[in-house]
Amino acid sequence: MDSNVNNFVINIATANGTGSQSSNLVILHTMFEMGIPVSGKNLFPSNISGLPTWFIIRASEAGYQAPGDKTDIQIVMNKDTWEKDITNLESGTIIIFNEDAKLPVDRDDCFAFGMPMTKMARKINPKMAKLMANMYYVGGLAHILGIDSNDILKAVKSQFKGKEKAIEMNMQAINEGIAYASENWDIKSDFKAESRPKDSDTFLIEGNEATALGTIYGGINMLSWYPITPSSSVAEGIIKWLPELRTAKDGGTTCAVIQAEDELAAAGMVLGAGWAGGRGMTCTSGPGISLMSEFIGLSYFAEVPGVIWDVNRVGPSTGLPTRTQQGDLSMLYEASHGDTQHIVLIPGNVDECFEFGWKAFDLAERYQTMVFGFSDLDLGMNRWPTKGFKYPESEMDRGKLIRNQQELDAVPNYGRYRDVDGDGIPYRTLPGSGIDPILYRGTGHDEDGVYSEDPIVYQKTMKRLKKKIDGARDNLPSPILREEENKELGIIFYGSMENSITEIDDILESKGFSVSTCRIRALPYHSELESFISRHDISVVLEMNRDGQLYGILRKELPTQLLKKLHSVAYSDGMPPRARLYSEKIISVLEELK
Amino acid sequence: MCPGCGHDQISNVIIQAAWENGLPPEGIAKMSGIGCSSKTPAYFLGKSHGFNTVHGRMPSVTTGANMVNKDLTFIAVSGDGDTASIGMGQFVHAIRRNLNMVYIIENNGVYGLTKGQYSATVEKGSKKKKGAVNTQNPIDLCAMALNLGCSFVARSFSGSKKQLTALLRAAISHKGMAVIDVISPCVTFANNDESYRSYNYVKENDEVLHIVDYISHYSPIEEVDIPEGQFKEIELFDGSKIILETIGSNHDTTDVVSALTAVHEAERNDKHVTGLLYYNGEIPTTTETLGLTNAPLCSLNEEEGRPSEESLIEVNQRFRSS
Repeated sequence: MDSNVNNFVINIATANGTGSQSSNLVILHTMFEMGIPVSGKNLFPSNISGLPTWFIIRASEAGYQAPGDKTDIQIVMNKDTWEKDITNLESGTIIIFNEDAKLPVDRDDCFAFGMPMTKMARKINPKMAKLMANMYYVGGLAHILGIDSNDILKAVKSQFKGKEKAIEMNMQAINEGIAYASENWDIKSDFKAESRPKDSDTFLIEGNEATALGTIYGGINMLSWYPITPSSSVAEGIIKWLPELRTAKDGGTTCAVIQAEDELAAAGMVLGAGWAGGRGMTCTSGPGISLMSEFIGLSYFAEVPGVIWDVNRVGPSTGLPTRTQQGDLSMLYEASHGDTQHIVLIPGNVDECFEFGWKAFDLAERYQTMVFGFSDLDLGMNRWPTKGFKYPESEMDRGKLIRNQQELDAVPNYGRYRDVDGDGIPYRTLPGSGIDPILYRGTGHDEDGVYSEDPIVYQKTMKRLKKKIDGARDNLPSPILREEENKELGIIFYGSMENSITEIDDILESKGFSVSTCRIRALPYHSELESFISRHDISVVLEMNRDGQLYGILRKELPTQLLKKLHSVAYSDGMPPRARLYSEKIISVLEELK
Repeated sequence: MCPGCGHDQISNVIIQAAWENGLPPEGIAKMSGIGCSSKTPAYFLGKSHGFNTVHGRMPSVTTGANMVNKDLTFIAVSGDGDTASIGMGQFVHAIRRNLNMVYIIENNGVYGLTKGQYSATVEKGSKKKKGAVNTQNPIDLCAMALNLGCSFVARSFSGSKKQLTALLRAAISHKGMAVIDVISPCVTFANNDESYRSYNYVKENDEVLHIVDYISHYSPIEEVDIPEGQFKEIELFDGSKIILETIGSNHDTTDVVSALTAVHEAERNDKHVTGLLYYNGEIPTTTETLGLTNAPLCSLNEEEGRPSEESLIEVNQRFRSS
């Protein structure tokens, strides 16, 4: 556990737009291919070029994926953050710096190693020196960690697919970096990267691309989107894979993609597609959801299926557009004016991004309503391991869809909004079918879809809608439970907190707590959650926002006798959750309870 | 609607045009936003599905529906508030995409449903029965559509049943975005004689560009009198024809500049120019541009809509080896 082999945190400070992302991914993929449990986090600015960016790589033999609590190796390339990057380091940290920055490294208590990276890069290619310089720190790092240049080659090839010249130049830079470091750096470090047997099935992928693939296997027919960080790569992923996966025999595509004029239009297109019998989706982030709210209410009230995939960034307002948070949850659950309630699917890993990507359409059609996918920047835009995506286990569920007269005749006393089966879910027909046409509307309507302001009709409709969505609870993905025999403390959490929970759990166990965990994967919450809370002395709802949004939803919906067991630990600073920080927050809440 | 409302006359024309064009009701989708005009789909073509959406957002809903069922004929009704103010963005972008739809604007210059506030199309200096004078410049939706490259642009008057019917029939036959701006007097809030959209004013100040006749493709001998003087014949996508009989100056419907000139000259003279302002049948529609498969997407089965299990195995394998 305390060994420094495959247990370290590297922080790479560069400027946005200098091509450092390629170098960082080469390091990440090299270590991944060596079989080392590794995770990478890109902390980038809302800017195209010039502002500071950090990439954090953590190797952890225990498989911890949270960003570490301290840095072991700091690479400094960015003049603008130079001083701060160096000042904040703990004593004993290894510093690799670009000598050509001509800035001081005044930390006698650290181990600093310089390399004239820009000068060396200029010799290979004067025009691309600024970009190439970043490959030298890959070399320096490889020397320190004892990584063989052959192990790096595969990652470089993958990064610069098919571009032979680029592969050659970058490898030259890396090898020169290794050679320079071995000749000039007098280093005695026990941080080592050691190969482990690698599961050959496992690969790394961004959550957003996993989502994109999921929706393609979910039969998406219409993608409307408006560019917004951090969700654009969902749309770009769909666009990338469509030609290969969704071209019909006649050569045409089976999914229309429209870059909408704004998020309002994107949501409107989703409703139009769902109303006409297709599978429509848009992807966005919090600001987009705010704009789409009007249509979300229409979807709920007129009962039109659709999918919105929200990749959460930090709000409110424009907020921190390139940082992560779980701040949209309560908005999603009750979006739009009036009484509403929406199904929210909450993936905690890339496998679930894929799975919920296709499942969302089935649920949207089953319940004839808007279904949300709720991811976040950390899960969506960083690369996470998977053993490969699993094909949907069942055929597409089109729900209670009447396609012909025979099917209509089989429904006794049909009316578009009549609860024939007693589950709150009515049947529907499609435009173009000629079967029982109605004018859909966002105004009050009776069981046949006819305009109505009758108090009894309205109240009955709203009650049925509540019944419909409530009835979905146990058909939604159930919570993932990891329980201790001693039911002392339960942690209820969701989404990308999954990446930090093992470490949080270990920290708390090391302090003597017996910790069970319950990862919620959908709203409205599954009935198993109630029994989890009943079984445990205390349950803490752990989340990445200020106000405890899930805690608030649970307080409203849980049986009153369970509420006294429920406590909130909510914290958000834009960063992915550091395990130690969140553990301390939990401990301080527990201490207050004593 | 209020007795005498221009919108009712337009609804009648829609029913007439759909019937005369031989459209089966199940093949039509009625679309609307919010406002007096947008309520009218409840009163026509009861055997067609429809969607009374939200304020100003009808074009986006129509877009989504069109993408998954391109075989439907989309007849959309909007108003001047619904289009020229809250819905301006969506109106503009539906035109840019040349969405295959008929976009009727029932234009009366006021918000009727909220009791008579001015809309953005009302003329400067307009005075309603009650209230202050409008001080802002009007937005001319035809000029706007022309500037945006709209493939079919016409203006008409709810009181000109023959012209409106012919234009609407042609708009239905057109493949692409057909905008018809119909001056439709609001009898309750703006039918005072000094209002530019009152019955009396429009009747006296209607500058008819040409006499419009429509000949359907399935019944070329109709009770249309082929004019003897100068006339122009335009063949539409489905083989139907519009016959434009020239009166006064010779308007060239293929020239967007002369269409804009006609609109702006009429405006300068406090007139309304009516007729087919511009037509171009060569612009690809949204679904054509996107290269959709031939079958409507909503009709695809499991096999056509979801890639095979083998393809996913291949995708996984590619990630592993890259």
